[in-house]
Amino acid sequence: MDAPILMPTDTQILTLTQWLSPAFPVGSFAYSHGLEGAAGMGWVKDGASLEAWLEDVLLHGAGRADSLLLAAAFNAGTRQRLAEVDRTARAFAASAERRLETEAQGLAFGKALAAWDMVPEELTFPVALGAAAAQESLPLALTQKLYLHAFLSNLVAAGQRLLAVGQQQGQAILRRLTLLCPEVAKDTRDGDLSKLVSAAFLTDIASMRHESQNSRIFRT
Amino acid sequence: MARAQGEVSLVAKSRVGGTALRRLRQSGSLKCLFPQDAGPALQAVLLNCAGGVTGGDHFSLSVGAEVGTTLTLSTQAAERIYRALPGERGRIETRLDVAKSARVNWLPQETILFDGCSLERSLTVDLQEGAALLLAEPLVFGRLEMGETLTSAHVLDRIEVRRAGVPIYLDRIRLAADVQAQLDRPGVAGGARAMASLLYVAPDAEAQLAMLRHLLPRHAGASLLHEDVLVMRILSRDSNEMRSSLVPMLDHLSQGGLPRCWNI
Repeated sequence: MDAPILMPTDTQILTLTQWLSPAFPVGSFAYSHGLEGAAGMGWVKDGASLEAWLEDVLLHGAGRADSLLLAAAFNAGTRQRLAEVDRTARAFAASAERRLETEAQGLAFGKALAAWDMVPEELTFPVALGAAAAQESLPLALTQKLYLHAFLSNLVAAGQRLLAVGQQQGQAILRRLTLLCPEVAKDTRDGDLSKLVSAAFLTDIASMRHESQNSRIFRT
Repeated sequence: MARAQGEVSLVAKSRVGGTALRRLRQSGSLKCLFPQDAGPALQAVLLNCAGGVTGGDHFSLSVGAEVGTTLTLSTQAAERIYRALPGERGRIETRLDVAKSARVNWLPQETILFDGCSLERSLTVDLQEGAALLLAEPLVFGRLEMGETLTSAHVLDRIEVRRAGVPIYLDRIRLAADVQAQLDRPGVAGGARAMASLLYVAPDAEAQLAMLRHLLPRHAGASLLHEDVLVMRILSRDSNEMRSSLVPMLDHLSQGGLPRCWNI
């Protein structure tokens, strides 16, 4: 039987808001998830192509995969199982920069949790978040949705730095992409790692090509 | 309709001056041939006598490379995945076990997906510390030159490579229903109809990176996951373009050991 659905408490909502705020010292602003590579190749040029690209990241690439890894970590139960989920996350990273961004943000996130008296662990970002949310008894669904929103929000902001996309257009893109997040979160709620898939090949390739790109303002 | 089953199990052993066959078992529609002129390495070429894979078919291959061996595996022809009946699925399972100081080159020719196909495939590689691997898995989504389209297909393709039990590479692709529409997406394949994943695990992986990047076509990338683990993803318009990109890279990385079937 499904557990009864409880309304998140104020404390839960505000804790997640703090963890997934751009001001939380995770350093997400430094990572473009290959978007800078895609812009450099001319694969993303303007607002419309940015939106289509990010929709693929969300539905076919890291958005869906991270949401599933987050849920798998949340449901892990034992330290051994959590370590397994984390190893899967590392092996699933499609490029060196993909591994860098998930490892570096996960590490920074773990350190920032000292304010919650949590012992920092070296975990990839979605795995660290899922484990911390379970430890604080935060609601999984909301954690997934806010994670996806923060991920997209960061990439829209990166797009605004890289392309001729203004504030208003950026927010309109984010608003539309945000509407897709609940469905992705729901599809991945069980954290069943046998469903871990990706087909966003060009986003992987953009991330690889970024490694040897001449002029870069982002780390990935 | 009769369903095809096929199973091959082979183990390579080290002998003075090269690699030889220790054991071979084959049954059903999967056969293994051994070209005579392969040099010191052992070369094995797989042959699907059923002429393709359809729903309900099941093929499995299990390969062991003992300490100090070099084994190159390929396929006699491109594998064709034909239309499956509703609810049926073709399955292909491959397991490679590579011992210390052994090397396996897994270089099958392309797998061609036809409309209506349903495929579930897995390739699992277990490397001991100090084992080397070259792996290329090319997929063709309908033959563009034949005007084939892929509007109703199901593919789940998994590659997992572990070293000393720890996963170092995990690629899981799922494409379903209107595969063509999905491939046309800008972040998926940008309209490409062929895709290859390539993995190279060897002490000289890092040294090969610059050269491989130089050979890469535009819609392709290479990256070093670990100092001795190099990964590549290549998208091409069609299978011919894919071959032209892959052959020089595979020939180089296999040190001239690319099976002859690849060059025809």
